[in-house]
Amino acid sequence: MKIYKVLLVLMFSCAGLSAEQKQSVTTCGSCHQKQALTQPDTQMGRAMQLPEQNETLKAYPKLTFHRGAYSYLVETREGTTQYIVSDGTASISIPVLWSMGAQAQTWVLEHGGHMYESMVSYYPLTRGLDVTVGDDGLAPKTLEEAIGRPIDGEGVTTCFGCHATNAVIDHKLNLTAFKPGVGCEHCHIGANAHFANAMKGDFSNSPPSLGNLSSEDISNFCGQCHRSWELVVRAGWRGPANVRFQPYRLANSKCFDGADPRISCIACHDPHKRVSREAAYYDQKCLACHSEAASMAPPHAKVCPVAKSNCSSCHMPKVPFPGGHFVFTDHDIRIVKPGEPYPN
Amino acid sequence: MGYLSLFVLSAGLAMLFLTAEGSLAQNSPGDFNQVASAASAAREQQDIPRAIELYQRAVRLHGDWAEGWWYLGTLRYGVNNYTSAVEALSHYIELTPNAGPAYALRGLCEFELGSYQESLHDLQHGISLGAANNPRNAGIISYHEAILLTKLDRFEEALAKYSVIVKHGNVNTDVTNGIGLAVLRMPMFPSDIHPSQQGLVLAAGQAAAKVMSGDMPGAARAFTDLFERYPNTPNLHYSYGYLLSSVDQEQAILQLRKELDISPSSAIVHSMLAWALGMQGEFAAALPNAQKAAEEEPSLPMAQLALGKDLIETGDIQGGLPHIEAVLKGDPNNLEAHLALAKAYSKLGQRDDARRERLLCLKLSGQGTAANENL
Repeated sequence: MKIYKVLLVLMFSCAGLSAEQKQSVTTCGSCHQKQALTQPDTQMGRAMQLPEQNETLKAYPKLTFHRGAYSYLVETREGTTQYIVSDGTASISIPVLWSMGAQAQTWVLEHGGHMYESMVSYYPLTRGLDVTVGDDGLAPKTLEEAIGRPIDGEGVTTCFGCHATNAVIDHKLNLTAFKPGVGCEHCHIGANAHFANAMKGDFSNSPPSLGNLSSEDISNFCGQCHRSWELVVRAGWRGPANVRFQPYRLANSKCFDGADPRISCIACHDPHKRVSREAAYYDQKCLACHSEAASMAPPHAKVCPVAKSNCSSCHMPKVPFPGGHFVFTDHDIRIVKPGEPYPN
Repeated sequence: MGYLSLFVLSAGLAMLFLTAEGSLAQNSPGDFNQVASAASAAREQQDIPRAIELYQRAVRLHGDWAEGWWYLGTLRYGVNNYTSAVEALSHYIELTPNAGPAYALRGLCEFELGSYQESLHDLQHGISLGAANNPRNAGIISYHEAILLTKLDRFEEALAKYSVIVKHGNVNTDVTNGIGLAVLRMPMFPSDIHPSQQGLVLAAGQAAAKVMSGDMPGAARAFTDLFERYPNTPNLHYSYGYLLSSVDQEQAILQLRKELDISPSSAIVHSMLAWALGMQGEFAAALPNAQKAAEEEPSLPMAQLALGKDLIETGDIQGGLPHIEAVLKGDPNNLEAHLALAKAYSKLGQRDDARRERLLCLKLSGQGTAANENL
């Protein structure tokens, strides 16, 4: 009886959804409708896009860029995209299979048995191509080099490990049955097995609840892709480019407490929903501690003498990413002093 | 003869460190100016015995003449009079405490005298003061540092030093043999290799040098050949795994497991395997290896560190803390131990302790490098 109910829900749930969304819903959405309906449209859900689902490439079917002796054309026709590099006399044309990123897009390309990160990327700010961040220093001498930065086995594993689901199994790249973007199984390890058992009426093996993790643990969990505090420290990455490593920045905050759920990543961000860009949305999160009315406020939590709203607009400044194209919210929550250097 | 020419070249740099006392001494009346000038002239004319004698007289007249002690030290080193050179350089260092080249040269003298701990200490202190900033100096000083680390059983640190040497392209037979000794964990100098082991040591060094230079396919071929030619030789799989651990953890773990077939009770192999598994987030799988390592060799810091970290990560925070604290007793600035403490305190909700440890970690990890934008 339970199975029929599940199938009934599936039939209704799938109506009006894209193929991508349907796939997600048919695996998990029957029971977890709320999450499954919104998660595929999040930035994480769209962390990797295939050409036929890539609205950006559809909207901009002919993207061009010139850099030194090389010109670039990213051309989309009838659902297929080609990345073409030319030096004026010869050219290399590579099909775009994997677009990394929900907003800005960088392409992972396969050519001559090697993998490359595309030399140019699409940036929504300019609605066009520019050099991929971090690749400014590359000075290609051949057409092959102009394709982009070669990425080795571990680099490819890292890309797919974070931008896709089930692409890395036992630390090895496996592209036979992966799913683009961050799907349920990416975070909820065992979700697929749980679904299969649930279809047989066995609900005994639910994946562990991530919501029960401590702030420290959830920070490390999210940090597997967003870069944990420990990873950044160990690697010695300093400077404003680390502003996009939110778990690292958050753990540097004076108010970070690994055992207090009010400062956890998921206290502010529901990973199943799109990130809110409104400062006011986060006020209640701050006031959960920094308010005279806050119950169980930690003794170190002071009440702001300046304002009671839009806290993050002052205490989490926007930091331009080196090289332009992006501005990130600094998750190092602090009293920002005018002219102070970027705190590493 | 040693490396006199190197340090004579460095003399210009060292002169920058000369203190005001030196100037005062030169201005003092009497015999001193005459003797000092004569010493300098004799040195420039390569009349080394005479120069040494005159510098000795000059520093007897003015014991605070730093320049005199420096030249006396370098000249005595040049004629292999290492004990006297150490004495002169020690006077110079007292007058000029930040003179990196003097520490490094004293370290080389101590090396010749067989005072290896002191030698390593001085070489490393000299490097910290910039003695190895000059590429030629760097090669010689780093090589001695690496062979000393090997002699003193600090093989992993030696391999790290050799990696830098190889990356700078300073590879020769001595360096390759030195790498081989570190790979095989043989605490001796290249000059002490027994003829029957020269082939093995050199081949091990050549294979490891390929990893260090980034030639991974070449390294794989060389190590495979090595394993075939010298099956069951301890430490080959371990060192290959260790060298791979920062670039290919899967392969590193595979090699470490193979080493356990040869050296099943090796604490260092168990602890390294535990560490490598931990770096992949497999702390529960790592724990038995960490426990075995600590059981086999409780005094091994790596074993204590791996065990402490694995216990903390698998939920036994209170059980893990003493192991981390044990590491810090011997090495108070161990970054990995402080990283583990930061996490442990954070998990326990000891916010202030966690923050203190985090700030310390940031300090210990230094200024670091600019975050790579495409990471």
